[in-house]
Amino acid sequence: MARTTLTGRQRPFVALFFLAFAAVSCRGPALRPPSGEPVRLSRLAGSGDAARRASQRIVLSGLDADQRGRSAEASSLYERSLQVDPTNPYAWLALARQEVFEGDPDRGLAHLDKAEALLAADDTAAAHLAGIRGAGLRAVGQPGMAEPFLREARERAPALWADGKLDAAELR
Amino acid sequence: MLLVAGFAGGFAVARTVVRLDQVVRERFGGRLFRVPSRVLSAPIILYPGLDWKQIGLEQTLQRLGYRDSPSPEGLALGRYAWKGGEVWLHRRAFDHPTRAEPARLLRMRLAGRLIEELRDADTGQELGAAFLEPELVGAYYGSDHEQRELVSVGDVPPHLVDAILAVEDQRFLSHRGVDLRRIGGALIANLRAGGIREGGSTLTQQLVKNFFLTPERSFQRKLQEALMALIVEARYEKAAILEAYLNEIYLGQRGSTAVHGVGEAARFYFGKSARDLVVPESALIAAIIKSPNGLSPHADPERARKRRDLVLVLMRDQGRIDEVALAAAQAEPVRVAQLTPEPREARFFLDALQRQLPDFYGSATLTTEGLQIYSTLDLRLQRAAARALSEELGRLEQAYPRLAPKGESRLEGCLIALRPQTGEVLALVGGRDYAKSQFDRCTQARRPAGSVFKPFVYAAALEPGAAGPLATLAAQLDDSPLEIGTPAGPWRPKNFDRENHGWIPLREALERSYNVATARLGQQVGIPRVAEMARRLGIESPLPLVPSLAIGAADITPLELARAYATFANGGIRPHIRTFEDVVDPNAGTLERQPISFERVLDGGTAYLVTSLLEGVVDRGTASSLRAQGLVGPVAGKTGTSNEERDAWFVGYTPEIVAVVWVGFDEPRSLGLASSGIALPVWGRFLRDATGGQVRGAFLRPPEIEEIEIDPTSGAVALADCPARRLEYFLPGTEPAITCPGWGEPVRSDDPAGPNLLERIFDTWLERL
Repeated sequence: MARTTLTGRQRPFVALFFLAFAAVSCRGPALRPPSGEPVRLSRLAGSGDAARRASQRIVLSGLDADQRGRSAEASSLYERSLQVDPTNPYAWLALARQEVFEGDPDRGLAHLDKAEALLAADDTAAAHLAGIRGAGLRAVGQPGMAEPFLREARERAPALWADGKLDAAELR
Repeated sequence: MLLVAGFAGGFAVARTVVRLDQVVRERFGGRLFRVPSRVLSAPIILYPGLDWKQIGLEQTLQRLGYRDSPSPEGLALGRYAWKGGEVWLHRRAFDHPTRAEPARLLRMRLAGRLIEELRDADTGQELGAAFLEPELVGAYYGSDHEQRELVSVGDVPPHLVDAILAVEDQRFLSHRGVDLRRIGGALIANLRAGGIREGGSTLTQQLVKNFFLTPERSFQRKLQEALMALIVEARYEKAAILEAYLNEIYLGQRGSTAVHGVGEAARFYFGKSARDLVVPESALIAAIIKSPNGLSPHADPERARKRRDLVLVLMRDQGRIDEVALAAAQAEPVRVAQLTPEPREARFFLDALQRQLPDFYGSATLTTEGLQIYSTLDLRLQRAAARALSEELGRLEQAYPRLAPKGESRLEGCLIALRPQTGEVLALVGGRDYAKSQFDRCTQARRPAGSVFKPFVYAAALEPGAAGPLATLAAQLDDSPLEIGTPAGPWRPKNFDRENHGWIPLREALERSYNVATARLGQQVGIPRVAEMARRLGIESPLPLVPSLAIGAADITPLELARAYATFANGGIRPHIRTFEDVVDPNAGTLERQPISFERVLDGGTAYLVTSLLEGVVDRGTASSLRAQGLVGPVAGKTGTSNEERDAWFVGYTPEIVAVVWVGFDEPRSLGLASSGIALPVWGRFLRDATGGQVRGAFLRPPEIEEIEIDPTSGAVALADCPARRLEYFLPGTEPAITCPGWGEPVRSDDPAGPNLLERIFDTWLERL
């Protein structure tokens, strides 16, 4: 079958035509306004199905243990919360935070990947995702790569990320 | 002469004493007991919304040694009670590597099959979740096959010691190892009875007999026993001797495992720690020392009760309890924990766990050091897996005479289940009968993969390389006859139905498991790239770089396959296999910890596309009978049958569990059936038991994935007047460059994208004008 191909000069006009057409005829998804405050896990305790709610309550117990300096207990509780709901993004986020700041930052970054995949559509977690990634990269000796993430975290949540750290209490 | 004989005799006695003393010192100075290490399951977590029937709450409580009570009023520790629509549970305290769970009175309000509300009954506080203690999975026994839980004298309740002393050695605290009054009494009783009816042995003598001597009944052995008892008493404190006795005494049999010591007996008979025993329970343990199997409360509760009551009377007579305590204890019926033999099929898991432990934990350590290993095994799923495999294979043997046993050749199978996000092994059954064959077909057997390998080819084709992906889900594959030259001669793959289907949608090629189309796709991707994809996903077995690799000409283990599919389920993140969380030395704390770890090996978008393809296999393809079995919710999977139908596979996953079933014979023998009739029913049965038929959650679709309606026959974007349409998923920038109706050619696998969509639509439009 013979095919007519546009010349390079024609293509910009055609593209403009289609853009205009698309603008009047299509309505894309509404942009979500940037959230005012980063997520606090205690406010999510009642959301989701039964397994998610139970998992979330166990994460909160883990954060309590973390706050008291009982890292091993906290880590074990985060793992228990994943036993109930392995797709709970906040359990992965809490585990990532703990590993980055108190354990193995490499492992923390891997956990953060998991949290990020599950939280991709959640603006309220963006500051923490960026901040923990920045802190993790800094901890594994990549300060150059860390800085843009930390900057993003500071811009999104200056009150929480001004010091480049996130305590368990601040996530709770 | 007499003097010489006296010297000689004295010398012989002295030499004997010195020798026996050395024997005693060596035993008491070293490790007194070899204690097998125990493996514990993951704990059960109770929470509002949980289906208590599905988890078998009451059976679980009974296995853990909880006993039912008629009323929740004043509910004792270790008891549960049903009242109206509520369950009350007085949960015992238990240790965990990182925290101690205190005893707690729980109140669960039930609504139908669900726990509606969970509260701490003492404080009224609403609880989000509560843990039950982990169950015993098994232990690493030495050749003696003894199990014991060590206790110290200070840890056990005084009434336990009182009960034992009352019936076994009431003057233990005052004699020096041998009780002449007791020997005299036994002698008279035996003379009256005309045979040996009563023994005069003290606790120390019993201990010496168990530690050093044979059960032989002779005067010489009795003399030796008495002499050694005197040596032990002279060298060691009463408390040390008593403690050794409490831990050594034989108290029953759990299958092939001997129960030794009061700590283990308390677990075995009452499902609790020795420190939590109450008076009638202590009396029962003391009562059965005389004949643990003959007086076993599991075998003959009435006989055990009579003997227990006799012990209680002796305790009263000796002033160890008062009349009130006697009456209360005698009023208690004999109630023992459910007799639960260790799940034999979990032995495969114990072996796999041992292989995963660092070398330091060899058999010598595991059989003697009394370690506690907190594993990832979910005993409910483990039981479901064992049941599914055993019953379904039995059913198949009945239904198909060709599968019936022939001599030693018997249909075998294995099932392994992982949590894809964490790599935790939830269930592992390596064969039908561990007692007959300890060979684990899930972790040790490499078998031809067949079609379960095909998704690796599709993953390699869908993954965007430097020049974009080779194919999209809208692509058409060529299933016409194919011949590939190889050093061994031309290779001509054939489809299972012996037909060729021309150009077919890529989805259909995988859903119908067409060999020819997939082999051709493998050639287009490149076999080294297919092998590299399989490696990345977690296949470690050698992979031959031959054209037939694309349709599964490689021997792999079910474990590898489970990990590779877990990577799809986990959005391209490959988990490390995890069989345990912590190894704990009861005295030294945590020795070893296995953290959750994983790595990204595939982009989330490609992983999702493969999952979407594999959902199609279950919804419309070779595994669609799963839906007919009533399985609802997100399920993806792939059937596989190797050459000559020797191996039947099914690998499937939900958002929370991935499981592999393999069925075949250990020796070369054809099944004569496709996997959908053999492995699939086992998997379906397992998953129905595991989930109740309703799968939770959804496969996570990355936000970058675009959802576009296409014409299923051409793969073109479906415009308003396209006669047929279905939704399809695309990585960014890989949308079809043609439209339906009539805006271009079908998308072939060798030209998946071409110019971009706008260019193609506009060019065709201009051409028509």
